[in-house]
Amino acid sequence: MDVVKGYEKEFNQLVETYEKNTHDKSLLNPSIANIIVSGNKVVGLNNTPGFRISSKTRGDGFVIIDVNIEDNTKMLMPVHLCTGFLEKKGEQLLKFNYNIGENVKVKFKSHCILTNVEKLHHYMTSDMYIGKNSHVEYEDEHFHDEKGGVFVETLTYAKLDENSYFKTKFYETKTRVGRINVLLDLDLGNYAKADLESKIYGQKDDIIDIKEIMRLNGKHSSGIAKSTVFATDATKAHVINEAYGNAAYAKGHIECNEIVKGHDMSVSTVPVLKVQNEKAELTHEASVGRIKQDQIEILMSKGLAEDEATALIVNGLLS
Amino acid sequence: MLALEDIRYSKNSNDIVKGVSMKFERGGVFGIIGNNGVGKSTIGYIIMGLSEYKPTSGRIILSGEDITNLDVTNRAKKGISLLWQEPARFEGLSIKDYLTLNKKIDIKSVEEALDMVNLEPKLYLNRLVDKKLSGGERKKVELASCMLLKPKYIVLDEPDSGIDIMSLDMIVKIIHYFQDNNTGVILITHRKEIAKECEYSYLLCNGKIFLEGKSDKIIKYYEKTCDSCGHINYAEEK
Ligand SMILES: Nc1ncnc2c1ncn2[C@@H]1O[C@H](COP(=O)(O)OP(=O)(O)OP(=O)(O)O)[C@@H](O)[C@H]1O
Ligand SMILES: [Mg+2]
Repeated sequence: MDVVKGYEKEFNQLVETYEKNTHDKSLLNPSIANIIVSGNKVVGLNNTPGFRISSKTRGDGFVIIDVNIEDNTKMLMPVHLCTGFLEKKGEQLLKFNYNIGENVKVKFKSHCILTNVEKLHHYMTSDMYIGKNSHVEYEDEHFHDEKGGVFVETLTYAKLDENSYFKTKFYETKTRVGRINVLLDLDLGNYAKADLESKIYGQKDDIIDIKEIMRLNGKHSSGIAKSTVFATDATKAHVINEAYGNAAYAKGHIECNEIVKGHDMSVSTVPVLKVQNEKAELTHEASVGRIKQDQIEILMSKGLAEDEATALIVNGLLS
Repeated sequence: MLALEDIRYSKNSNDIVKGVSMKFERGGVFGIIGNNGVGKSTIGYIIMGLSEYKPTSGRIILSGEDITNLDVTNRAKKGISLLWQEPARFEGLSIKDYLTLNKKIDIKSVEEALDMVNLEPKLYLNRLVDKKLSGGERKKVELASCMLLKPKYIVLDEPDSGIDIMSLDMIVKIIHYFQDNNTGVILITHRKEIAKECEYSYLLCNGKIFLEGKSDKIIKYYEKTCDSCGHINYAEEK
């Protein structure tokens, strides 16, 4: 593990917050590849065989992070991408470029630790290329400040080459959202497969925007995009799921469930399905509304109060 | 004693329950039988106090106390529970969390209950109570859940539906388990093998009690007449 000289304190502070929030103590294990970014500085990184991560800060303040994985690299342990912000106010601008070779197996665990800021714009854009037959998982977990001063924008563009697999999980369920804007735009080649999942818990005056796009451009490509939002208080949530069936035997399914509680929230969802090949097949499912009465009442019939029943159901949905 | 006194229930100006009075005792097994659509489940929901099933008139009395206006949670706290005919599914909720009610019930009792409904705890505790459980498995999980609550009165709405014939013995065993624990069982069923466990039964027709009494007599009548009746307004004409 290389800790950048002069930034040991920030490094330790981020590791500590991470361990506290996730109960995961593996971050400093030398066999784990990782990068730790504080503000607009990389404060620590660790490479492993076949996996190379490098970074530079551009004149405009963007931290550019290049991730290269050689063909046939099988990463047994997840790669940790840890970004944090320890000052009170500011902007964090990150650009990730992923170049993932053929026959790679890798899982990224990304954590954004923004628990102590008053006002922050965290902007992260990622360009990802996934080589043939590779298997990539990407888990994104966010921890934000409880006062709602965080604005997170995360835009991911990924190209999936033949027979590759890409699975993403975006979770912001444990702390306040603030404002969040998630975009995932995938271009799937022949036999490529995607599985996208996002779960977000909105409270107070949180604003949530999710847009997931699957461009099923290769024959036999397939994908599922599923979003779950629990919107309480005055949360505003808007979810757009799009699927384009542009090749023979392409198969896509989009699903959006928005569960609401309270009187001041406002949620919406827009599914877009467009087929340009007669052998493609797209489906969608959506529900917007309260938790189903029979789910609440079956738990009440076991002695739980309505609020306890709701909490148990929502915990399950967001877990 | 749990009693329904002249319960009526209408929905969208349809009279669904038309003046039903029933009495149940702790430790007894009581049958509610009748063809599809006569109002059996509705009576179960009215006993449990579901929000959409407030009686239009009549009273529900538990040990001398009028509980007609109590909500579901408070009836459950007084010892009434219900096995749904079609229990709800929950995404992301494990059988373990469902049965322990988020750690309110100890895991050892949960394992024993799963054993009693013929579900191997090791294989099922970490599965989810979601759409992937088969209908029969879901029903068995619910039976286990009802047992764990140790209720004073339990409405079992078709405990045998969706469950294989091989498991009928298991259901009979569970009915006896409730009896042994001094639970009053209110049993809604179509199946003779199960109905024979009742000492007293109510035969419903078109939202009314058509006949009541010793179960063997009621079952015999039901098989002979109702099976081939198809005449849902029988009770009104009589
Ligand atoms: N929400 C509703 N609105 C209108 N009618 C309803 C409603 N719910 C039930 N009913 C009607 O009430 C009657 C009684 O229904 P119930 O479910 O109690 O029947 P059941 O005896 O349990 O039938 P089964 O043997 O099929 O379970 C039926 O005719 C049904 O169509
Ligand atoms: Mg019924």
